[in-house]
Amino acid sequence: MALNGHNRTTGRQEVNPGRQEVNPGHIVSVQDFSADTLRNIIAHLKASSSFEHLVYREAELDAIWTITGFFLANEPASSMRDEVNRLHAGAQKAHDLVAERLPGAAATVLEAFL
Amino acid sequence: MLSRDENELLTQTDSAMPAGKYFRRFWLPVLLPSEVPTPDCSPVRVRVLGEDLLAFRDTNGRVGLIDEFCAHRRASLFWGRNEECGLRCVYHGWKFDVNGTCVDMPNEPSEYGFGNKLRTTAYPTREYGGLIWAYMGPAEHQPELPKLEWARVPDSHRYISKRFQETNYLQAIEGGIDSSHSNFLHASLDAFRVTDAYVEKVRNSNNLRAKYHLLDKAPRFTVKKTDYGLVIGVRRNAEDDRYYWRLTQFLLPSHTMIPYQKGLAIHGHCWVPRDDQTCWVWTISWNPEAPLSEEEWKTIRDETFVHAKVDPATFRPVRNKANQYLLDREKQRTANMTGIHGFASQDQAIQESMGPVVDRTRERLGTSDTAIIATRRLLLQEIRELGEGREPFTAGHGDVYWVRSASLLLKRDVEFDEGARELMKAEV
Repeated sequence: MALNGHNRTTGRQEVNPGRQEVNPGHIVSVQDFSADTLRNIIAHLKASSSFEHLVYREAELDAIWTITGFFLANEPASSMRDEVNRLHAGAQKAHDLVAERLPGAAATVLEAFL
Repeated sequence: MLSRDENELLTQTDSAMPAGKYFRRFWLPVLLPSEVPTPDCSPVRVRVLGEDLLAFRDTNGRVGLIDEFCAHRRASLFWGRNEECGLRCVYHGWKFDVNGTCVDMPNEPSEYGFGNKLRTTAYPTREYGGLIWAYMGPAEHQPELPKLEWARVPDSHRYISKRFQETNYLQAIEGGIDSSHSNFLHASLDAFRVTDAYVEKVRNSNNLRAKYHLLDKAPRFTVKKTDYGLVIGVRRNAEDDRYYWRLTQFLLPSHTMIPYQKGLAIHGHCWVPRDDQTCWVWTISWNPEAPLSEEEWKTIRDETFVHAKVDPATFRPVRNKANQYLLDREKQRTANMTGIHGFASQDQAIQESMGPVVDRTRERLGTSDTAIIATRRLLLQEIRELGEGREPFTAGHGDVYWVRSASLLLKRDVEFDEGARELMKAEV
């Protein structure tokens, strides 16, 4: 499943796990909620352990929650609403797991949306 | 985004609450010395961390900070007489010294022996760095005073102002470390629209901030946890192979510093909870190398930057919520983003507009809010650890405050904390 409510690519991402090494000390640029973006965040979640890493992951998940929220508010007739709604809730769950210092569990939550 | 429980955990600072216990592990600024200027002067009311207290300077010059209400019948000691090393309640004559000991109880027979056995709440105070500080926690955990650079410069090198803000302390801190708002809230219209005139002005100035904010409006954030709290690095693209970095400190429990450019004054804040809906904003400007210059005094007098004029009795800013911060819509149309004069009033207006305690479950954060997320997580971690019996490291180590903010150009392959190591050392 590829969710990309804005039909944009993730070209400005700082780190792409497909092409570069994952660095949990960098913030993933979140411009959409596509599968590529989610994969990138998942890869970073799995590599995260320190306070700083978890702060960056929380910021990325906040951003996913925010833009899925925008989508739900602005696209009432979209056929993707149910999927995006689930991702919106999943991003919140993953966010709260990161807050509990459980980035691996947060990654598992997001993997359900790939 | 925070859960409702997390938001309450962070923002409730009464003595029984976890964050209240945490703040009570630190020395906190509570008064300007000028509020109790001379021995036996008039007492003043002080509300801090939800407690109503009374400050007075006794005959020997010592500053007392005691419960506002008399231990006898709970009458306010504000009406009391400050006389011969104690504050006497005018209702029945009970008298308390700076340690809270009842040293005279004239309406009770002396054989009852109440005197000298009764104490009221009293907190230790220190005069330090141009302020009066109080410690409101358990005596066995009394910490060191923070060795902040501004507290150690001569008086002529420093200016401190105090103002009352109608928000919880956390909202105010979040404004202080959120550097991405400055391009908008504090911008002139020329800067916001990037007019030719503005570009020309910036090109010819030594203001690195203006120059590089113009070149890159989407900065990248980095945070590093430190012994004192956090250093927040905000990076913008600069010429060639360099980045322009602005480094802000968040020092536990609630101090912040604004990025400093060598040769100019440094500015910082301390945000102290007055109660859960209001806070005290302490704003400090200092020059480690020289007395504040005439230009710096002019900036203070004109209220263009971090200081704002206040009512001398209440410390409520002259520009306040009740008068819409003297908003000038014509100025907003023609001169700046807000139509409000001065950075301090602009910050206060926007922070108060969010309500006394913002509902953080309803936010829409993004990656530019990384510093805010980091600050909340650090405070939550510290508060929870204290609840588990671990004392805050920072409170017991005054030397860790020996730092200063910075702004500088670095090669792109240099980590900011390495490249700025020397600049971030306080010198005074």
